[in-house]
Amino acid sequence: MAETTPKPWGETTVVGRPLPRVDGYERVSGTAVYSLDLLLPDMLHAATLRCPHPHARVKKVDLAKALKMPGVRAVLSNADPEANIPWYAGPGGKPVSRLFDPQCRYEGEEVAVVAAESPQQAWDAVRAIQVEYETLPFVTNMEDALKPGAPAVQEGGNQGAKPSIYERGDLAKGFAEADVVLEETYRTSCEIHTTMEVHGSVAQWEGDRLTVWDTTQGPFAVQSALASVLNMPLNKVRVIMNYMGGGFGAKLGLSKYTVMAALLARKTARPVKLFLTREETFLCTGNRPAHIMTLRAGVKKDGTLTALQLTATGEVGAYPGGVSLGSQLRELYRCPNVRSEETSALINAGQNRPMRAPGFPQCSWALEQMLDALAGKIGMDPIELRIRNFTAVNQAQKDIPYTSAALRECLTEGAKAFGWKEARARAKGSGPWVRGVGVAGGMWGSAGGPPSTVVVSLYSDGSALLNMGAADIGTGTKTVMAMVVSEELGVPLDRIRIECSDTGTTQYSGPSGGSKTVPSDSPAVRAAALDVKAKLLEMAAAQLKAPAGSLTLKGGEIHVEGGSQKVAIRDLTVLRQQQALVGVGTRAPNPAGYVARPFAAHFAEVEVNRRTGEVRVLRLLAAQDSGRVMNLLTYRNQVIGGLTMGIGFALTEKRIMDAPSGKMANANWHDYKIPTAKDVPADLACVPVDIRDHQWNITSTKGIGEPATIPTAAAIANAFYNATGVRIRSAPITPGSVVGLLSRGKAGG
Amino acid sequence: MLRTFSYRKPATIKAAIAAAARPGARILAGGTDLLGCLRDGVFAADTVVSISGLKELRGISARPGGGLRIGALTTLSEVASDGQVLKSYPALAQAAAAAASPQLRNQGTLGGNICQRPRCWYYRGDFHCLRKGGGTCFAVAGESEHHCIFGGAPCFIVHPSDTAPALLALDASVSITGPRGTRTIPLGSFFVLPEQSATAENVLAPGEVVTQILLGPPQAGARSTYRKVRERGAFDFALAGAAIVVAMADGKVTAARVVLSGVAPVPWRVPEVEKLLTGRPLDAATVTQAAEAAVKGAFPLSKNEFKIPLVRGILEETLTALA
Repeated sequence: MAETTPKPWGETTVVGRPLPRVDGYERVSGTAVYSLDLLLPDMLHAATLRCPHPHARVKKVDLAKALKMPGVRAVLSNADPEANIPWYAGPGGKPVSRLFDPQCRYEGEEVAVVAAESPQQAWDAVRAIQVEYETLPFVTNMEDALKPGAPAVQEGGNQGAKPSIYERGDLAKGFAEADVVLEETYRTSCEIHTTMEVHGSVAQWEGDRLTVWDTTQGPFAVQSALASVLNMPLNKVRVIMNYMGGGFGAKLGLSKYTVMAALLARKTARPVKLFLTREETFLCTGNRPAHIMTLRAGVKKDGTLTALQLTATGEVGAYPGGVSLGSQLRELYRCPNVRSEETSALINAGQNRPMRAPGFPQCSWALEQMLDALAGKIGMDPIELRIRNFTAVNQAQKDIPYTSAALRECLTEGAKAFGWKEARARAKGSGPWVRGVGVAGGMWGSAGGPPSTVVVSLYSDGSALLNMGAADIGTGTKTVMAMVVSEELGVPLDRIRIECSDTGTTQYSGPSGGSKTVPSDSPAVRAAALDVKAKLLEMAAAQLKAPAGSLTLKGGEIHVEGGSQKVAIRDLTVLRQQQALVGVGTRAPNPAGYVARPFAAHFAEVEVNRRTGEVRVLRLLAAQDSGRVMNLLTYRNQVIGGLTMGIGFALTEKRIMDAPSGKMANANWHDYKIPTAKDVPADLACVPVDIRDHQWNITSTKGIGEPATIPTAAAIANAFYNATGVRIRSAPITPGSVVGLLSRGKAGG
Repeated sequence: MLRTFSYRKPATIKAAIAAAARPGARILAGGTDLLGCLRDGVFAADTVVSISGLKELRGISARPGGGLRIGALTTLSEVASDGQVLKSYPALAQAAAAAASPQLRNQGTLGGNICQRPRCWYYRGDFHCLRKGGGTCFAVAGESEHHCIFGGAPCFIVHPSDTAPALLALDASVSITGPRGTRTIPLGSFFVLPEQSATAENVLAPGEVVTQILLGPPQAGARSTYRKVRERGAFDFALAGAAIVVAMADGKVTAARVVLSGVAPVPWRVPEVEKLLTGRPLDAATVTQAAEAAVKGAFPLSKNEFKIPLVRGILEETLTALA
């Protein structure tokens, strides 16, 4: 391994370029085998019986008819001892449910699972299972859930956890110092991840060894949880994810379907494939929780923020889980007096899971609209207000400095590229369609770190193998990491084979989530490549009889500096004997005394029809500080995807729970509305503020996936206000939610 | 997961009708709605009778004496891009183009579009509602934002078609062939309200097939338009919409037909508005009064009151544009 910390890259030849995906052809031609595509010999197909009620006790499960049906090979329910597996951690980490718990707390909770020769036979058998339910009182929204006397989702009541309180400074003093104090309540809706590839697993046993092909962002996380649940050693559980069609946080850890597939495969001694239908994924694979946020803020006439106070409730679902709003309120803008109190409410609906920047877009919806309103009250440009309150230190962590913090550059360079001043001054229009522009700042709460171990092998013919644990969940990870190897060793991308996200053959890495794959794993890849390079130069030094320090690697050849002596990689005698040169790299710790955060500023121009309430997003611009841009094309992909999800948050996406029945009304891709090509403007601009964070890690990177979606919705909401003079505080902004307000000329604030 | 059914593709209309008249048979045209209903278990089929082999049901042709005959199997894409439709019946072209998504318009047919089943999430979902032969309309106490504000009780669906309101405004007729022969009726007599039947949206009896849609010669001085408001730009049904045909002479309306979409269990004609417009110029005062008249008698449920200002806004916009 390289002993000293390598120098940051100066000029690069491969890294940073807009290169297409190394696995693009496989993905678009259909040759890529996703877990969903996998067909193993003798494989059985499984289907799940789910509780149709929001809250019910399973009194009896009659499998007799189902077991006699053609093709049925096994059924599992709560009667099977091997399925008696604790699930869902309650307060204090104690499990509060089981794989098939008789107490079903939401529509879609698992009751039984069938394995049959064909998917059709499995579904027919599921329909033939007779279940006697005792239906129980239920509650499906957070406001009702927290009222006294509400039906209890869990025995301990509907408060998901103790309120989480953060305080600094003197709030009363802060509000007293303010020239303007505003208080508003903001709401966001529950969103579903709706990944292109549905969730599921294929499980196969060979003796006492289990292999699972999973749809997961974190093969190692699934491996350890699965081993623990099945009481197996890690070395006997192998989890593989070859290709995936999206995760967004819904596929970070172990899910019930993986355990059910493994148990059925063991019971039948056959491989078992268990994938969810699109409709099932709406009910039970997580969601972005809805939030109600009351925010009080004080500002001086000169734009100095004096106090921020947030009280928020998040809708957690039927089982406790994280609904934190994240750290923007406490960290993004300089403010000495801050208090936040966050609580959560249990309801009879599927448990939330992290969704692309968990908590941050919700907090942004409140905080960035509030800043917009404050700027209006003191007559200051909203960009100026944000710049005035910029801070280069992390106020929630004892004011330790950021390694880099380019929020101001995001705001100013973004404003310039967007034409902010001109757009802001332009007439809004007097007809039914009125125009407006808005801005929002944002930050993401992490920038990666250890652990990650990567192995790079250079073969004697000059081609290479990159072996890494990180998963490419559709974001371009393979491409970016191969570019790092190519940068250091000069091996062309098409001569680098990539082996990844397989716990049986690659080294440990955390799940691909939190925008941390590039800043966590690319430094390890670079370290491994540098290790190979150092060994290669030593090998060449011996053959050329020149000091290693005088050698350079270029175009597959090792040259002696200032001389004509050289040797091609394929002509290295020792390498030809040993066939491969193996380098290992690990992710070094993050620098002590510093913290890193990606920053962003988003700009929106919208058009609103005052007669019909329709909102058209005319253009969006994202200025991002994510450290070094590793591949301009994958970077832009992330930004465009983030902006698109932001449009969904702002304008179209919303889980609708039918109040009388407690069932989800829109559990399908037609009624749950993700934006279409018609809802996303052609004018999507990406402005990389390419500040290389050399202090943070050896690839100078911070991560782009999540910061690219955090401020989008708030920027759209601010543009809506700029166009109409009406403030809509509930997301999504739909024609139905605004048409009455605009046509009657009501004003908001 | 689709349940097993037998599939037939007759070569003649006679054979198709005989097959479709049997109990448990369903007619398949473009299939964009039928397959979804079968997959979701909204209703079942023992036999699926494809009429896609009946070539005489395809295409757009001029009628002797003026007007157009549009075969029921003509796709929405063909309707939306047909030169004659675009020139003389723009409301129909606009409505066909506003439906669904490009892929669905390439596959979905005009006959299927006017015969499609409602998109109500209770009807489509896991609820034994009135329209499926149950005893309750769940929208009344439930999530009613996409339900009707006119013509409701006892079932509060909205008719999902975009082309039907346009065709009704254009005074189209439909030809229906069934076991007892062929009849041609005005489109206004084709649809039925829930008070007449809560389980059917039209008068088709088992074995009956819509074979063609007939349009009369365009009126002199006629202008037409279809405007649809929805929550997203494609692959979405109308929150509300309006198909309007007005004939103008000397700056005044001589005849008008106004039909709303997305607000009633049938394409909802508003004769009060038509009467109000006739004989008047399309000036601001007329437009405001017409928009107000369009929502008279609206009966919103708990979550769809917004459709009242929305219909008003749509009429203001479309009538102003037609002036």
